[in-house]
Amino acid sequence: MNIDVSAPYQTRVKQALADDNLRTALDRATSRLSETRAQAVAAIDLQRMRDEARAIKEHAIKNLPDLLEELERNLIANGCQVHWAQTADEANEIVTDIARQRDVRRTVKSKSMATEEIHLNRALEDAGIKVVETDLGEYIIQLAGEPPSHITAPVIHKRAEDISELFQRELGMRPTNDPAEMCAAAREQLRSEFLAADMGISGCNFAIAETGTICIITNEGNGRMATSMPPVYVAVMGIEKVVPRVEDAFLLWQAVTRSGTGQDVTVYFSMSSGPRRSGHPDGPEEMHVVLVDSGRSRIMEREYADALLCLRCGACLNSCPVYREIGGHAYGNTAYSGPIGAVVTPLLAEDPTTAKELPFASSLCGVCREVCPVKIDLPRLLLDLRHDLTQLGSSPKYEGAAIRAYSNTVEKPARYNRLSKLARWFSRILPANTEGDLTKLPPPLSAWTRSRVLPRIASRSFRALWRDGRDTRRGSSDNG
Amino acid sequence: MGNGPAGAREQILGRLRESLAKQGRLFRQSIGLDLPDPPMTVFPSPADKSLVESFATKLVELSGSCDVVRAGADVAERLMQRIREWTAQSPSGPIEILSWAPDELHVPRLEQTLAEGDISLFAPEDLHDQSIRARAASIDVGITGIEAAFANTGSIVLSPGAGRSRAAGLLPLNHLVLVPLSRLYPTFEAWLLKLRQEGRLETLLHESGQLAVVTGPSKSADIELTLTLGVHGPKTIHAIVFDDTE
Repeated sequence: MNIDVSAPYQTRVKQALADDNLRTALDRATSRLSETRAQAVAAIDLQRMRDEARAIKEHAIKNLPDLLEELERNLIANGCQVHWAQTADEANEIVTDIARQRDVRRTVKSKSMATEEIHLNRALEDAGIKVVETDLGEYIIQLAGEPPSHITAPVIHKRAEDISELFQRELGMRPTNDPAEMCAAAREQLRSEFLAADMGISGCNFAIAETGTICIITNEGNGRMATSMPPVYVAVMGIEKVVPRVEDAFLLWQAVTRSGTGQDVTVYFSMSSGPRRSGHPDGPEEMHVVLVDSGRSRIMEREYADALLCLRCGACLNSCPVYREIGGHAYGNTAYSGPIGAVVTPLLAEDPTTAKELPFASSLCGVCREVCPVKIDLPRLLLDLRHDLTQLGSSPKYEGAAIRAYSNTVEKPARYNRLSKLARWFSRILPANTEGDLTKLPPPLSAWTRSRVLPRIASRSFRALWRDGRDTRRGSSDNG
Repeated sequence: MGNGPAGAREQILGRLRESLAKQGRLFRQSIGLDLPDPPMTVFPSPADKSLVESFATKLVELSGSCDVVRAGADVAERLMQRIREWTAQSPSGPIEILSWAPDELHVPRLEQTLAEGDISLFAPEDLHDQSIRARAASIDVGITGIEAAFANTGSIVLSPGAGRSRAAGLLPLNHLVLVPLSRLYPTFEAWLLKLRQEGRLETLLHESGQLAVVTGPSKSADIELTLTLGVHGPKTIHAIVFDDTE
């Protein structure tokens, strides 16, 4: 079953929870990733790494405008063309224009969350340009016509059996559940795309200001292919990706890899500082860098700069008890899911209430904060966002009235007693399951029992038990 | 400066500067540390092993392999053995290898030795030529040298240049990499420090166009986290470390 990412939040969650195959796939993958991360960080001085990574990112955000200017200067000195885009639409238009000017028909893409965020593929396809995702996971979901469901493992929601079925249908592959065979089928298909493409597109993991360098990290080598084989190379980067020095990029690379997949480093770390130099046998003739704001400066204005520190490693997704149950698609039509997605999705949106449920999709257990390589206090941000969204009037009206009534009641013991007696009586007569838990409450409390049960109110209140206990204790001490 | 819709650049920079100027609180809780001074070590440095041993151990852990040979002449011999193994399935006859230009590999008498085994090196000058590109793409073995290698991660650095194609270490299914001992460093950090001291870091990045750090064969775990090798880049990587310091 597929989850409809544009359906209402409750529907998406219900669809996700009802999908056993999804739960199996998520369970296998997130536990493995969490384990490999734990091993990888146990081998190093984790606290030192987190402090260093955090200090670098804080410095970068505090000096963002100056660093962006320095980056631009050095990119131009390296022979790159630099473009600035305030919105997703502007960014898409810039890339489409570059493609038109070079008469581009086919593009190959290295995996990039920024371009997922701005829906670049759709814009290019609307302009009649073929776009092929080349990361194996992204390629699979492109064939399936689905958005990614994880920042680093986009196809985490599919089992090998699901992928095999897709490849048999789309690529005419013979029936097999062997990942190596499926991978070979994709390699062959994508190799011809790499060699024939007119343009390569990538995102950016780190942009080094002092040297004018765009760094991308991959395990498959599709990043190197997309940035080396086609005659035009376009890098699309969120403005928060800039770091001051070469050493900073190396440190963050190690931090993101250990936290994300548990490797020491990714297989490929490609540092592009401009087009092919004269006399070189290969490399792109042109290199463009598109600096995309698309809501990032607004995040700063809204005082949520913490969210701009994120390295996109995915550790908070893998460890989150909510993500592990519902997966990425339940977070809706967004490139970012899990705890960090619940923070940045409403923040990046022009109208944050379009994703108003997401900050509530968390138990605030705090494990995301513990695994974050740059120490983002995600539970704090989620709470602050809940507060802000409530201020914006996005919570139902009866909620305020209910809370006022509640505080009126608990402040007055006599009234509290009377009402709890009444509630106890009600809980006897409401429908319950075999374990005695209530399954159907009257509105507006029915919202709770739509997806959960409520334990029946105990036959004796705490106050009554306390009174009895006190009497017994007194009695025994009297006897003693 | 800068392209894009009129004023986009100024608007973005202006908004950022405004936010930074007005804000009392930028982060929920700042870590309160300055930009750290390199080296910022993450990896434990190899302790009881030599650089070569560490490099070889790491590369094998990554599903690569490594030979260590002494003198220059042994390198060509060892290369030939590997190429034979990898091309054993192919029809007999002359074998063509996608390679960096021989003078970029620093191995004496390389071409002559390989020629005795009917192996020739193809070092393309312009891979944007379609027929050259097709020829390169049909080759199963690539040979490159390195800019640097690192003992604690088993990584190599490839730096493109005249006679040093990106394709040789990327397109073929098998990658043979020649590692002169003088270019083997304990860590990334040690190498970066040396480049800084010599004032070569910026030049190297600029002149290469694209510097690539490669750590083991191409791999993916996208399908149910099952490790699969050779997704887009080489499936096997074999390093031959040789002593060039004598």
